[in-house]
Amino acid sequence: MPAHAGAPHSRRRFLAMSAGGAVAGAAALSGCAMQVSSGVSGKGETITAMVNSGDILPEQIKQAHKELGIKINLVRYDITKLIAMLTSGNPPDLVRGVGAVDLPFFAARDVAEELDPYFARSSVLRLDDLDPVNDLWRFDGRTQGKGPRYGMAKDFSQDSMYWYNTAAFDKAGVDYPPETEPITFEEWLDNAKRLSQRKNGQTTVFGGSYWGLTRSTLLATLTASAGGSLFTDDFSRVDFTTPEARKALTWCIDYCKARVGTSLIQPDPNGWDGPTYQAGRLAMSNSGYWLGGMIYPDKKLAEVSRLAPAPVFAGGPRISACQGGTGLWMPRGAKNKDAAWRVFEWFFGEEPAKARASGGWGIPTLKSLRSLMPAQEDYQKRVLKVQESELKHFSVVSFTPYTRADALDALFNQIAPAAMNGQISVDTLAGRLNSAINEQLKRGKEQVG
Amino acid sequence: MTADQISTALDRPGTTATSGPARLADRPRTSMTARRHRAFYMFTSPWIIGFLLLTVTPMAYALWLSFTTFDGISPNWRYVGLGNYRELMNDPVTWDALGRTGLFAVTSVPLSIIAGLGLAVLVNRPIKARGLFRTLLYLPAVVPPVGAGLAFKFLFDQNSGATNGVLTIFGIDAIGWLADPYARYVLLMTVLWAAGNIMIISLAGLQDVPRELHEAARIDGASSWRTFRSITIPLLSPVLLFQTVTGMIASVQTIMPLLLAPLGDTGGVTTVPQSNYLYMMHVFAQYFALGRYGYASALLWVLFVLILIATGLIFKFTSGAVFYNVDPEAKK
Repeated sequence: MPAHAGAPHSRRRFLAMSAGGAVAGAAALSGCAMQVSSGVSGKGETITAMVNSGDILPEQIKQAHKELGIKINLVRYDITKLIAMLTSGNPPDLVRGVGAVDLPFFAARDVAEELDPYFARSSVLRLDDLDPVNDLWRFDGRTQGKGPRYGMAKDFSQDSMYWYNTAAFDKAGVDYPPETEPITFEEWLDNAKRLSQRKNGQTTVFGGSYWGLTRSTLLATLTASAGGSLFTDDFSRVDFTTPEARKALTWCIDYCKARVGTSLIQPDPNGWDGPTYQAGRLAMSNSGYWLGGMIYPDKKLAEVSRLAPAPVFAGGPRISACQGGTGLWMPRGAKNKDAAWRVFEWFFGEEPAKARASGGWGIPTLKSLRSLMPAQEDYQKRVLKVQESELKHFSVVSFTPYTRADALDALFNQIAPAAMNGQISVDTLAGRLNSAINEQLKRGKEQVG
Repeated sequence: MTADQISTALDRPGTTATSGPARLADRPRTSMTARRHRAFYMFTSPWIIGFLLLTVTPMAYALWLSFTTFDGISPNWRYVGLGNYRELMNDPVTWDALGRTGLFAVTSVPLSIIAGLGLAVLVNRPIKARGLFRTLLYLPAVVPPVGAGLAFKFLFDQNSGATNGVLTIFGIDAIGWLADPYARYVLLMTVLWAAGNIMIISLAGLQDVPRELHEAARIDGASSWRTFRSITIPLLSPVLLFQTVTGMIASVQTIMPLLLAPLGDTGGVTTVPQSNYLYMMHVFAQYFALGRYGYASALLWVLFVLILIATGLIFKFTSGAVFYNVDPEAKK
């Protein structure tokens, strides 16, 4: 029966209309979302950058608009949102990423744009001026550090190094570590135990934290320091039972058991070392050069703070890798690639890069900006000397493209506390980690194809 | 009048547009009924569209995902049929998380209802500054969970938290509250801390209890406890049932363990101590840390079905114990 004016709507018809409305609404919402990032290329355009607050400051956005004529819309970095945007074909034009672990994952899934043609024609970012750390943003389809470039690091540190507080060493009567020669991991842990101070079950001074940037990069670099490799040659498996990986794992568990610093069984409510170190309650902090950005403004703290080389395993090679190399990459589906590249150049080679270089929050990723690193005060000169010496030992520890570091961390976090609490042995832990992580890598390999 | 009643009324002889002599006389009524229909659907359509768009669509999408190996962006995902559900049945981590969640629900729901009801009874008495007490006790319930999580993290930190500060004054060694095995007690405390929510609903229920019944009981010589047990509790039973059902659903979906973890974000979900690694933490970990969208969606669908079953069981086993203060015949 045809519907006519005044006739009551049937419930079925009403639900059908509602469903139609919902679909139309979804389409409208999707259309609106597309309008946000779809722009035009060149001057007068708008790009969307997915970054953390602090990566690009509000005044820098104004500066970019003024200098480049490009408006930057910021979207807060959120991996779930990024995946949703990538899946819907509406990605940001630039995305924050941790070069050491994110790049292989995204490049292997073909969602990152190759930037070699852009670099080739850039007068701001010259290839011969790029620091080797930018190799973390290269991937040849199998191995990180080789092949085309997909992004660039904004600054970096050698994250196996550590800062120490001389006042804490003086108080505990422990000798300062040498500033150009590394101590062994065993010596580091021994120092940490001697520097720790406890009372009534509470730790008043932590001897040292050595927890890496992520657990997976920590274990990969520790294994490299022991002379081995955590991943097999094709990055499709891990093996914690090799002598080198086992050595690394054993040290890591010993560190946790000693309760000298933050770990899964002794969590730090701040989530990072900064506040505890600043309060003089942490004698050694496993942080690279970047922590200087927090230390330098506090002159009193700066006077007693020193940077030391990455420890080594006795008989092992001297390796000082970057576990981060945070920077930006451009999704393949970005709508405004030319404008995004112009912002990329400006961010990595012009005013923002110079401001970062002089701030002490990391080593600049262009060699030409090294002269801007803070070196006015004696303590800054001292730190810079240690850092320059350490750069000779920089190396890229390649990461697997088959999963994100978060996934490996998640599995480690679920399995390892039993070993840290002494409920299982390191060998049992190694076996369980192999089994869980290799299953995850197998799934990832299947999906990459 | 509901839509059903309106439809029934329209079907009655003499009220439809085809009933001969009554046709002309009924036309204005039909037109008015149609307008009322339209108004009804116009007013409800925002909710229905929202429900379809924001609930039914995501649920259907999650159901579809649960039959795949999709990880968000990889090109080579495939259908696995019931594979994710089969894996789930054999995953000891899932079962452990489910067991912990069940234990948490059967502990936290009664405790928070008892605490909320107890507070409601206290602030229902004619005491001085009653309004102030009600406000103060309700205040924690309006603190956003993220803020509450942060406050608890710092209060219960082993080395610098105020709780251990107090313990050490009495010569008791500091306790690692935020690590195993104590973390579960801190989680329970966060639930009890927000008992103001239950208090406020219970208070409304208490104020609905007719005063004459209490007076009659007192005249008959009933003690306060007997009056509470035999009059207040039965009359409050619909409220208590509501709190049990909503409390159970909230407890199995709680994200407080994540907010108490060292890295209180989705990526840090696996830093949650094992005793607080509840079912939703497992779901978060599968989605956001391991990128297993298919498996995580299967976990969510299983949780949805379990919640439906648990709710049905609660209704079934409490049907005889809940007293509805309405005339059952009135419905007929």
